[in-house]
Amino acid sequence: MAIRIDPEKCTACMACELACGYHRDDAFALISSCVVVYRARESKDYLGVLLKEEEELVIARPEGLEIKRIGATDEEQSSGGGDASAKPMLLREACDLCEDREEGPLCLQVCPVDAIYQD
Amino acid sequence: MEYLSSDKVAVIDLASGEVSEDELSEDLVAQRIGGAGVTAALYEQHKDGDPIVLGAGLLTGTLTPASSLAVMTAKSPLTGTVVHAPLTQYMGQELKYSGFDYIVIRGAAPEPSFLWIHDGIADMEPAGDLWGKDVWSAVQAVRQQMGDELIQVLGAGPAAEKGSNLAQVMVNQWASGDRFGLGKLMAAKNVKLIAVRGMGLLEIAEDDDFVTRCLEILGQVKSGAWAGRQGQGDLGAALGFDDYAAWLEPLVHRSHSSFNTPFAYNTFLFLDDDPSLLEESAQSEPGVLLGDPAAAGVLRAMGLAAADAAAVIKACAKAGLDAVAAAKVCQAQGKTAAAEIQAALEGIDGTVVGLSGPFSDWAPQGLASDAASWKRRMAVAYIFGIDPIFALMAPEISEEGLVELAALGTGLEITQDSLDAVVADLCG
Repeated sequence: MAIRIDPEKCTACMACELACGYHRDDAFALISSCVVVYRARESKDYLGVLLKEEEELVIARPEGLEIKRIGATDEEQSSGGGDASAKPMLLREACDLCEDREEGPLCLQVCPVDAIYQD
Repeated sequence: MEYLSSDKVAVIDLASGEVSEDELSEDLVAQRIGGAGVTAALYEQHKDGDPIVLGAGLLTGTLTPASSLAVMTAKSPLTGTVVHAPLTQYMGQELKYSGFDYIVIRGAAPEPSFLWIHDGIADMEPAGDLWGKDVWSAVQAVRQQMGDELIQVLGAGPAAEKGSNLAQVMVNQWASGDRFGLGKLMAAKNVKLIAVRGMGLLEIAEDDDFVTRCLEILGQVKSGAWAGRQGQGDLGAALGFDDYAAWLEPLVHRSHSSFNTPFAYNTFLFLDDDPSLLEESAQSEPGVLLGDPAAAGVLRAMGLAAADAAAVIKACAKAGLDAVAAAKVCQAQGKTAAAEIQAALEGIDGTVVGLSGPFSDWAPQGLASDAASWKRRMAVAYIFGIDPIFALMAPEISEEGLVELAALGTGLEITQDSLDAVVADLCG
């Protein structure tokens, strides 16, 4: 049951990003998160969410959800979100569905608008 | 300070360019908690330098719902009193993870400068080529210079450089909650921008209990009165702005949240592209972000159509003007046509009436039951780092819950008595 994101519901609050970072680091941090809010197009109000899975990259754009195989030649896949100081997406660990949490994925629980679901 | 902290306070002497660092004292946090509680104390400590003090709330940047707030504390050039301006969107969390808990900015720089706060380093950089730029161009320029589109920026625009009383400190391209002319203060210190970026880490004293409590509070919030609502339209309706949502609707692109804030009250209005567009706009600046209903409300009352009002707000954002104040000055001068108002913005100045500190009225008083409740709620929000608008909307984020989280997060003895004392001090 993979994690999926509804881009129409997402409000780009970054709660999922922080939750995943907490799951990985047992502290509050954003650098290790496998789910990242794409917010480099702020002046155009173009926001989305990227999620790294083991073999796929889930890209929740406003126009719809896209799932791409990691390794395809695509500039956007390697861009990592348009920022120099954050960790590029493809270098991050893949989503493990918070396998060590009895309650399941923390990102689902923290999303205030239920934009994250399992499919 | 071991938990929920970078354990660093930067003190920047603008005249000399020297940066010193102090540890963040646990005694200070136990006594003053965080946010405006600590920035006020640091202001007093450094008041001989007419400082600007920046800081995040104690719980900013954590999984506490609505933990988006940073605070700018300074003596307002408009009131002559110490005030606190709320800074939301992503500025709070960026400051919290920047490697500094608080930043004290003393004196004035000899030349136009910008501050670059990044991963525990505070640099002062020349800003000669930024001075004179509108806010949007300056933000873009510093992001390009540093190669990072996610840098969060506090900016002073051309209005501030000209010494206008209506100059507001801007958060990236957008209006902040500053109603106190702190943009003017920044420019008077020759500080064009404060750029912030950080990928820090915050340890938590009792992490499992802390996160569990956060989730409990979030669950209550999601069942609360604001569940399923979003945007400036719903916010305006709650404030009794008749047909406000309908007036805005033709321009509404999307609404989104400040960091970890359940209610998405930041509404982006498209002026130069189809608001129903889902793909990335081909226009570089298709519209403007509306973070509170006050400016649009004043302009609407002056008879402007939504598109004209949004265009005025966009022009104010570029100039670094408090759009509410600018609109009221124009109104007082009898300028009510859109073209008149736009023309008046260049070089606009005036007296801002109705200011009473220490907290900005950016978070609408109409969301509180009375003035005293509003003031206390602002103090609590500014101390813990809770989005002040959402703090008014969500009683589920209780003082008891915040005190409990503070204790769980820091391992310090922070109690309701602690909070009452800081609130009393801030509220006067």
